[in-house]
Amino acid sequence: MTTAAGSSLGYDPALAERVRREVDRTILRGVKGLEFFRSDDPEVGVTPREVIHRRGTLELHHYHATSDEVYRVPLVLVMSLVSKPYILDLAPGQSLIEFLVNAGFDVYMIDWGTPRDQDKGLRLEDYVLDFIPECLERVCEESGESEVSIAGYCMGGLLSVLYAALHTDGPLKNLACFTTPIDYDGMGMFKKWTDPRYFDVDRIVDTLGNVPPSLMYASFTMLRPASQAAGRMRLWDNMWNDEFVQSYRRFDRWAQDQIPFPGECFRQTTKELQQQNLLFKGEFRLDGHLVDLGKVTLPILHVVAEHDHIVPYEAARALIPMVSSEDKEEMVVKGGHVSLVAGPRAVLRLWPALEAWLAERSE
Amino acid sequence: MAKRDVQDPLQMWREWVDGAERQWNSALNEFMGTEQFGQASGKMMEAFLGMQASMNEATQRYLSALNLPTRNDVLSIAERLTGIEDRLSDIDRRLTSVAPSAPGPSRPPRPKPKRTKKAPGKTVTKKVASKKRAAKAKAKK
Repeated sequence: MTTAAGSSLGYDPALAERVRREVDRTILRGVKGLEFFRSDDPEVGVTPREVIHRRGTLELHHYHATSDEVYRVPLVLVMSLVSKPYILDLAPGQSLIEFLVNAGFDVYMIDWGTPRDQDKGLRLEDYVLDFIPECLERVCEESGESEVSIAGYCMGGLLSVLYAALHTDGPLKNLACFTTPIDYDGMGMFKKWTDPRYFDVDRIVDTLGNVPPSLMYASFTMLRPASQAAGRMRLWDNMWNDEFVQSYRRFDRWAQDQIPFPGECFRQTTKELQQQNLLFKGEFRLDGHLVDLGKVTLPILHVVAEHDHIVPYEAARALIPMVSSEDKEEMVVKGGHVSLVAGPRAVLRLWPALEAWLAERSE
Repeated sequence: MAKRDVQDPLQMWREWVDGAERQWNSALNEFMGTEQFGQASGKMMEAFLGMQASMNEATQRYLSALNLPTRNDVLSIAERLTGIEDRLSDIDRRLTSVAPSAPGPSRPPRPKPKRTKKAPGKTVTKKVASKKRAAKAKAKK
C-alpha cells in the first residue's frame, strides 16, 4: 500500500513487495527442495489400457475407450527404439494418448520394451517385416476392421515409413509421422560424430553387444552440453512452483530413462542410414527388398518441429517430396523434438492438428 | 502515487542463464564438430572398448577356471528361453484362432464402442501442391 509517509522516508512499497515475495520463495525453495529429494518419481503412463499381444519384450497396448462411439479406423502409435514410450502418455492432461482416446479414436500402441542382451541380433528387418505386421494383424483382429492408421514418432516414424513402402497391399490406410529423419546428411552433429574415419561401429557392437543406455544418454546430452546445468538452475529458481517442478521431474525422468539399442540394429542404422544415407539415395534394402518411398501412395502427414535439435529440418524435410501420395502434407510446428509431442503447448499445436487430420480420414 | 517499475535482480540472473546456455551450447557444438574432436573421441572410444574387451576376456577366463557359469553361458540359456517363449506365443495364437475362448466363469468383456463416429464438420486440408497436379489443372483449363 502506497503512503505519502512511506515515500517520504525512502521506503519503496514495490521494492518491499518484491523482496517479501523473494524471501517467501527462498523459504519455499528450501522446504520443497527437501521434498524433491525425498519424494518418489512421478507416475507416468497412467491412461487405462490392456496388453493384447506380447512377443519377447514387445507389448501391444489397447487403450480403453472413454466414449460409446469411436472412429472406424483404429490408430496405432509406433514409438522410437531409443526411448521409452511414456513420453506420449506423460500425465493426465499432458498425454497425447489420453487426448486421442478422449477425441474418439480407438488407440493402440506398440511398446518395444527394453532390449535384453539376447536381443542384440535384432535388425530393422525384424521390426519392419515381422513385428509391425504382426501387431497390425492383431489390431485388425481386435477391432474387427481391415484398415488401420499409424502415427510414428521419430524413429517410430522411420519404421512406419519403411513398413508403408514395403507393404503397399497391407492394412495401412493413413500415416502420420512426427520429426522423422529421412535424409541423414542433415542430421548435424550425429552425422559428424559417426564419421567412419573415427567411429568404428563394428568394434562398438562386437565388444558391447547392445549399445548401453549410458552411451545413448551421453550422445543426446552432448547435443546441448550446457542445457543440463542451465536446467538445474531453472529448477532451483522455480522450486517454489509445484507445477513447474512436476513437469520438470516428468521430462527429466524420461530423458534419463534411456534404454539399450539392439546392437545389430545400431550397426545397420549407423552404416546404411547415418553414414551412407542409402534411404535418401533410394538404395536402401531390407532383406533384399529395395525400399522405394515413391511406392507410398496413402495419405501422409509429416509434422516437424521448428526448433528440433535432434532431428533437424534438413533431415526431416525429404519425406514429403519423396512419397507419391496425392494427399500429403508437411506441417512445421513451433517447439522442439520432445515438446512437440509432450510439451505444455502441444495441446494447442500438434494434438488438435493431428486430431483434425486423422478424423477426416478415419470414418 | 504511481508505482515505480522495480528492476528484478533475479530476472537479470535468469536472462544471464538463458544467454550463457545459448553461447556455451553454440561454442561447444562448434568445437565438437571439428576433425580434432572427432579424432580424439574416436581414440577415447577405442581405448574404452579395448579395456572393456580385456575385462570381458579376463572375467570369462576367471569364471571358467572356477567352474562357474560365464555371462555367455547365461545368455545362451536366455536365448533358448526366448525361442521357447516365441514358440509358446505362436501356439497360443494358433489355438486362439481355432478356439477363441474357453467356456466357464470369466470376467465379462468390456463393452465395445460403436465405430460410427464422424469427423466434426469437413475442413479443407492444406495439401502440398505437386508440380504434376498444378500442370494437370492448367491443362484442363
